[in-house]
Amino acid sequence: MQGNSLRRSSVAGLPAGSGSALPALLLVGLFFIVPVVALLLRSVTDPEPGLQNYAALFGSGTYVRVFLNTFLVASVVTAVTILVAFPVAWMLAIMPPALGSIVFGIIILSMWTNLLTRTYAWMVLLQRTGVINRTLMGLGIIHEPLPLINNLAGVTIGMVYIMLPFMILPLVGTLRAIDPMTLRAAALCGASPFEAFRRILLPLSLPGIAAGGLMVFVMSLGYFVTPALLGGTSNMMLAEMIAQTVQSLLNWGLGSAAAFVLLVVTMALYAIQLRLVGAKRAGGGI
Amino acid sequence: MLLDYDRLGWLRVALVGFTAAVAAFLLLPVVFIVLLSFGSSRWLAFPPPGWTLKWYQQLLADPTWIDAALTSARIAAMAAILAVVIGLFASFSLVRGEFRGRQVLRGLLLTPMVLPVVVFAIAIYAFFLRIGLAGTTVGFVIAHTILALPFAIIPITAALEGFDKSIEDAAIICGASPLQARLRITLPSIRIGIFSAAIFSFLASWDEVVVAIFMASPTLQTLPVKIWGSLRADLSPVVAAASSLLVGLTLCLMIVTTLLRRKLSR
Repeated sequence: MQGNSLRRSSVAGLPAGSGSALPALLLVGLFFIVPVVALLLRSVTDPEPGLQNYAALFGSGTYVRVFLNTFLVASVVTAVTILVAFPVAWMLAIMPPALGSIVFGIIILSMWTNLLTRTYAWMVLLQRTGVINRTLMGLGIIHEPLPLINNLAGVTIGMVYIMLPFMILPLVGTLRAIDPMTLRAAALCGASPFEAFRRILLPLSLPGIAAGGLMVFVMSLGYFVTPALLGGTSNMMLAEMIAQTVQSLLNWGLGSAAAFVLLVVTMALYAIQLRLVGAKRAGGGI
Repeated sequence: MLLDYDRLGWLRVALVGFTAAVAAFLLLPVVFIVLLSFGSSRWLAFPPPGWTLKWYQQLLADPTWIDAALTSARIAAMAAILAVVIGLFASFSLVRGEFRGRQVLRGLLLTPMVLPVVVFAIAIYAFFLRIGLAGTTVGFVIAHTILALPFAIIPITAALEGFDKSIEDAAIICGASPLQARLRITLPSIRIGIFSAAIFSFLASWDEVVVAIFMASPTLQTLPVKIWGSLRADLSPVVAAASSLLVGLTLCLMIVTTLLRRKLSR
C-alpha cells in the first residue's frame, strides 16, 4: 500500500501500513501486556522463587472450594441462560418486526443500564422483606420468607439477568440463518413438531448455542460485581477471592497465582470458542 | 413449520407468552428501582406508603455524590477521546495494512475486552503502585483507555471495511493530498463508526467498576465506586435515586444515538 498510512512509516524495518497502529501497540504493550506478565511472574517469585503459591492454592480446602463453586455457578448460570434464551431468540427470529423491535429495545435498554443499578435492583427485590417474598407470602404460597439472597439462588438470578442479552442476540442470528424450507420438508415427510424440533431445529442451532453458551460460561467464571453483591460468604467466586487476597490480605503471590489460573482457563475456553465460531463461518454448522 | 410464525398454532401462544415474560423480567427491575426512588419508605417498602423527592434532594445536596459523578464524566470523556483517536489510527493499519501478523495485532488490541477484568485490575494496580500512578486521574484514564480501546476499534474497523477506498484514491488523482483526501472524504464517510466508537468507549469507562475499585483513593472516586461503597454498607434509597438518574441518562443516550444514526446515515 504505497502512501497509505497516515504517516509513511519512516522507521526502518516496519512493515508497510503498520505505523499508524504504533500508539495503540505502545499503550497496550506498556500498560496491559507488561503489567499482566509482571503479575504472572509475581506468582512464582513472591515471597520467594518457587511454585509454593500454586501448591498453597490447590492444597487448601478453602481455595479448592472456591474453584469448585466458581465452576458450579458458571455451569448453572450457563444452563439456565440457554434454556431461557432459546425460545426468546426463536420468536425474535420469526416474529413480525413491529413486535420484535419492542423486545429488542428492552434487551438493549437492559444491556446499556449500569451493571450496579441492575444488581442493586435484585438486591432489593430478593431481600427477606423484599417484594418477591412478600408477594409469595401474601398469596399464601409460602409461610416463611425464602432465602433468595447471599446464596446460589441469588447469584444465579442476578447473573442470568446480566447474561441473557449476550445469549439471545447471537442466537437470533443463528436461527435466522436456518432455511425454513428444511422444516417444511420435515413436516411434509410426516414429522411431528416435536420430532422436527429434536431432529432438525435443535441440531441446526447447536453451533450458535455452543458458541453463546461458551461465551456466557467464560464471562461468568471471571465475574466479580454480581456474585460479590448477591452471593454469600460460603459461596464466594474466584474473582472476588482474587480481589480479597490482594486487597485485604495483601498476599500478592497467592492472588497472582489464582489470577493466572483464571487467565489460563479463560484463554483456553476462548480458543475453543474461536474454533467453533470459525467452523460455523466456514459452513461447518450445516 | 417451526420457523413459520403464522403456522405455529398453539405453540406460538406458548412461545410468545414466554417471550413476553422474559421481556418483563428484563424490564421490570429497572422500572421498579425508578419507582422506589420516589417512595417515602426508608426501608424500600413496595408499594411505597407515600411519594417523595427527598432522596433526590439528599443526593444532590451531598457533594461526594456530585464529585463522584463529575470525576466519572471527566475520566470517561478523556478515555473516550484517547480511545477514539488511538483506535482510529490503529484501525487504518488493521484494515489497510499489508503485513503478516495483522490478525495477531488485531487479537492483541482486542484482548483487554476478553481477559477477566479482575486480572487486569490487580495487574495494573500493582504496576501503578510501583510507578506512583495508583489513585491518580492519569492512572485512571490510562487504565480506562485500554479497556475502552476494543469498543472503539470494533465499530471503526467495521465502518472502514465498508468504505470503498477507490473514492479516496479518486480524490488524490484529482489533486488532493493523501491527508486531505482522508480528512475530507474518508473520515466523513465513516462518521457513524466514529460516533459509535465515541459512545461505546465513553460508556465502557463511565460504567466500569472493577478497575475503578482498585484505582480509587479516598480523594478520587468515580460514581460506580461510590455506588459500590453504598451497596456494601446498606441499601439506602439514595442509591435508588442515583440509579434512576443513570437510567434516565441511558434512555436519553439511546434516543440520541438512534436519532443521530438516522441523521448520519442520510
